[in-house]
Amino acid sequence: MTLSPDSQALLLLCSHLGLSSSSENSPLTLKDWNPLAKKLLSISKRPAILLDLNKEELKNMLEITEEEAERIAHLLQRSGSIAIELEHLQSLGIDVLTRADEDYPTRYKERLKDSAPTILFYAGEKALLGQPGVAVVGSRHLDEAGQACAEFVGNACGMSGLVLYSGGAKGVDSISMNAALNSRGTAVGILADSLEKAIRNPENREAIYRGDLCLVTQYSPSAPFSVGTAMGRNKLIYTLADYAIVVASDAEKGGTWAGATEALKSRWLPVFVLYHPDMPKGNKMLIERGAYKFPHPLPNSHQELQTWLEEHSSATIADPCQLSLF
Amino acid sequence: MDKRYTLMLLRKMIGEDKHFRPGQWEAIEAIAIKKQRALVVQRTGWGKSLVYFLATKLLREQGSGPTILISPLLSLMRNQIVMAEKIGIRAFTINSANRAAWSAIEAALAKDECDLILISPERLNNAHFIKEVLPKISGRIGLFVVDEAHCISDWGHDFRPDYRRIVRIVQMLPEGVPILGTTATANDRVVEDVKVQLGPGLTVLRGPLARESLRLQNIQLSNQSERLAWLAENLPKFKGSGIVYCLTVADTERVTNWLKQKGFSAEAYHAGNDENLDRPELEQAFLKNEIKILVATVALGMGFDKPDIDFVIHFQRPGSVVAYYQQVGRAGRAVEKSYGILLSGIEDDQIQNYFIESAFPSLQVTQNLLEVLEQSEGLSLYEILAKVNTSKSMAEKALKLLEVDGAVGQTYDKKVLYFRTPNAWHPDIERSNRVQNLRKSELAQMQAYVDHDGCLMQFLLNALDDPHATACGRCANCRGRGLPTEVAQKLVIEAENFLKSDHIVIQPRKQWPVGLFPDQKRNIPLEYKNNAGLSLCYYGDAGWGNLVRSGKYYDNHFSDELVKASVHLICDIWQPDPFPSWVTAIPSTRHPNLVPDFARRLAGHLRVPFYSVIRRIREAPEQKTMQNGFMQARNVINTIQIDQRVSQEPVLLVDDIIDSGWTLTMAGYLLKKQGNGQVYPFTLAQATSRNANG
Repeated sequence: MTLSPDSQALLLLCSHLGLSSSSENSPLTLKDWNPLAKKLLSISKRPAILLDLNKEELKNMLEITEEEAERIAHLLQRSGSIAIELEHLQSLGIDVLTRADEDYPTRYKERLKDSAPTILFYAGEKALLGQPGVAVVGSRHLDEAGQACAEFVGNACGMSGLVLYSGGAKGVDSISMNAALNSRGTAVGILADSLEKAIRNPENREAIYRGDLCLVTQYSPSAPFSVGTAMGRNKLIYTLADYAIVVASDAEKGGTWAGATEALKSRWLPVFVLYHPDMPKGNKMLIERGAYKFPHPLPNSHQELQTWLEEHSSATIADPCQLSLF
Repeated sequence: MDKRYTLMLLRKMIGEDKHFRPGQWEAIEAIAIKKQRALVVQRTGWGKSLVYFLATKLLREQGSGPTILISPLLSLMRNQIVMAEKIGIRAFTINSANRAAWSAIEAALAKDECDLILISPERLNNAHFIKEVLPKISGRIGLFVVDEAHCISDWGHDFRPDYRRIVRIVQMLPEGVPILGTTATANDRVVEDVKVQLGPGLTVLRGPLARESLRLQNIQLSNQSERLAWLAENLPKFKGSGIVYCLTVADTERVTNWLKQKGFSAEAYHAGNDENLDRPELEQAFLKNEIKILVATVALGMGFDKPDIDFVIHFQRPGSVVAYYQQVGRAGRAVEKSYGILLSGIEDDQIQNYFIESAFPSLQVTQNLLEVLEQSEGLSLYEILAKVNTSKSMAEKALKLLEVDGAVGQTYDKKVLYFRTPNAWHPDIERSNRVQNLRKSELAQMQAYVDHDGCLMQFLLNALDDPHATACGRCANCRGRGLPTEVAQKLVIEAENFLKSDHIVIQPRKQWPVGLFPDQKRNIPLEYKNNAGLSLCYYGDAGWGNLVRSGKYYDNHFSDELVKASVHLICDIWQPDPFPSWVTAIPSTRHPNLVPDFARRLAGHLRVPFYSVIRRIREAPEQKTMQNGFMQARNVINTIQIDQRVSQEPVLLVDDIIDSGWTLTMAGYLLKKQGNGQVYPFTLAQATSRNANG
């Protein structure tokens, strides 16, 4: 893979590659980078320009403080070790996308705007990112109705050519994803941790190999599980899909709840919630907050899931606006 | 200004009266001042380490990060480190052998107190290195040095798969990072290839490769005994110390034993399986001339730098002219007169062809390996060997190639696990054929060198496309005289007798193959372990080896001569105590009587009874088709049975040829499990091919 100079600059500035956790110079956060990106846009420059600047020039061009310029200059020096680490990742089957890449999912830019992650690590078919599809979310522990629902949506996506989006974790995620892949469909797993480990799983590996699966994460490919990263990636599931179906949610706590309420508030896409007499309290409360009902027993035909979702939701989606931000 | 300053530094390192050698300053200027990418083709001993030390110094003074030196060497020589320290260069090595020093080195890197770090190409793909070491330098690689850069090229004589990784990394390095490739052995084709792979902007700096002090001579003596005799007769003529290169580990040991017997100060040096062999210690003793003759395989290789080597003698012929040039070039770096003598013999082609054929794992093995990995999340090497019938070294080779191709990755969970990556993999048959054909043509060129009657140095230099090549006026062909090419018959007979009495110890296996008895400890319990045993000879060698071969494959009968030799070896030399009080043998299904018949006659001469107690219970694939310990051991316990307990007295367990030793280990285990006494293994011959390399 060849890295464009813009992407190279973004990787140097915003990724942890080639940095130890204890390093004095941590990479730029979104909050750090966005103002600089806007500054560059305003003077019609691209990130690659930064690669050739020294501290003084950085300070003048970006209108930043001495310390900030020093930090940026320092981050930009690590191109050597990034080359080594990227080579290592690629040999494992992992690649990167940055906000400056043409292939970066437009939906993230449209929906998340400047909180779209600057760097994505992925394994598999990147063209799947942002293809029409349905997100399935929910807690790891499922009742019977939840399981049936996860499987139904997975199968339905597989049979009707929709991408199944999920968090790639155990429970609802893997049930729906496997259902989609087993019915010859495609899936995208948006991981909160351990991409390196996930691609060692034989089923994942085969699906990636066939081009049916893309696993993607905004976190380091070797990042261990943490509650924080699990919360942080939820919005990345919603913002890639056309519809979301919440299978089971706790009430007012937990990742599923937080993610679903955020999605409802942001109006990225129509959010459905599995609706049946024994549903968890969280499901009920999400419906009260404006989520659509996804009935159990489920709609009849697998093939018509998309039509059904379309008919049962109204266009409440926030206007997408394309940002040329990198 | 820069040049004067750099010269001042150089003098600090190597002496006030010294100057740049031609090409040194140009190389330093290209990388440290012009920040270019350069390839330096200069003979060994020219001073490439001076170039990267001085360039590192200049770059560090400009605020650059440390130099990363990638080299197949394990470490820098002590004297190089001392030299670098004189201009304040702090150089370190990170390798698997100095784990204890890692944290100190990492701390030095973190404090920017390391100027140069030497690593092997493999380390570039090591998770610890990438995640812990690299971040410490915050990626500020000041200079990227690729030592032995010819390894990048398929056309090089020493292609190493790991170097493909270096190429990919170099291609991702930004333009501002200077790169220095160094080699002493690149012909035009290799230089062109390296140029293509390292980028078109590469400056090539090429110097003359001739060695002014070296006197070359080729002597053809086909028999080992003649060559041993030649060594004994001619080595006393050299005043200083030198190297005798052999192709196999077994040969280094045999030649060493002979030389010791003849009163020489000689030691064997190889990377084979010998706990008592301490390579760094041998190197030190040799450097200090405490050992006069080092009898070595190619394990004594790149980076070993002893300036006062008087002679390099090849007991067997290397596989290529370039390899020969490199090895013979160790002589005479700082002495006025030195000798490079190439002896060659009948066994050379056989060994070289084996090397060529075993250079690449077969497609079948590679595919089986991938298939096994595809069904798992990760397997250890031993788990793989229990499922794929291939030797450990072949499996390691295949895994290495697959890793470089990105088809296999490594992870660590208490042990190293290999796993299949999602990257596609296509066999590159064309490449392996190309490399094999290249090796064959190199072998032919080497033979042409042996037969060459013109200037020998010129032949070598032409093969390396050295534009400065002219007749040297020093080699035996130029001068029309040299060391004697014939040897005294008396000494040849003595060497022949030596070869016949040179026996080989069978070390008992200490551990079961991994996974054979999953519920037991790895160590073979004492009560089931064999005693040490002996083999009469190496299979196919001069001495007894040829008799064993014809007995096994032509006559279906081992001659009485072999019985007598075995009796002599057992009774007069070995004298096991307590002496075996009975003999048994391992029958094969194809030749059920061959070994028992020999063992029965042997028992008669030893005046002890022969009992045939080992029985083949089913048709087994030939043991030699089993490629690793697990497969071999399982093949034995599945197919042989011990009929009865004979005696608690010690037994001599006889087989014709020992290879991996699992047949004898498992048969001994079964014998002892039946309640029989101590087991002494004895075989007519030891196979050599599998441990030929190293």
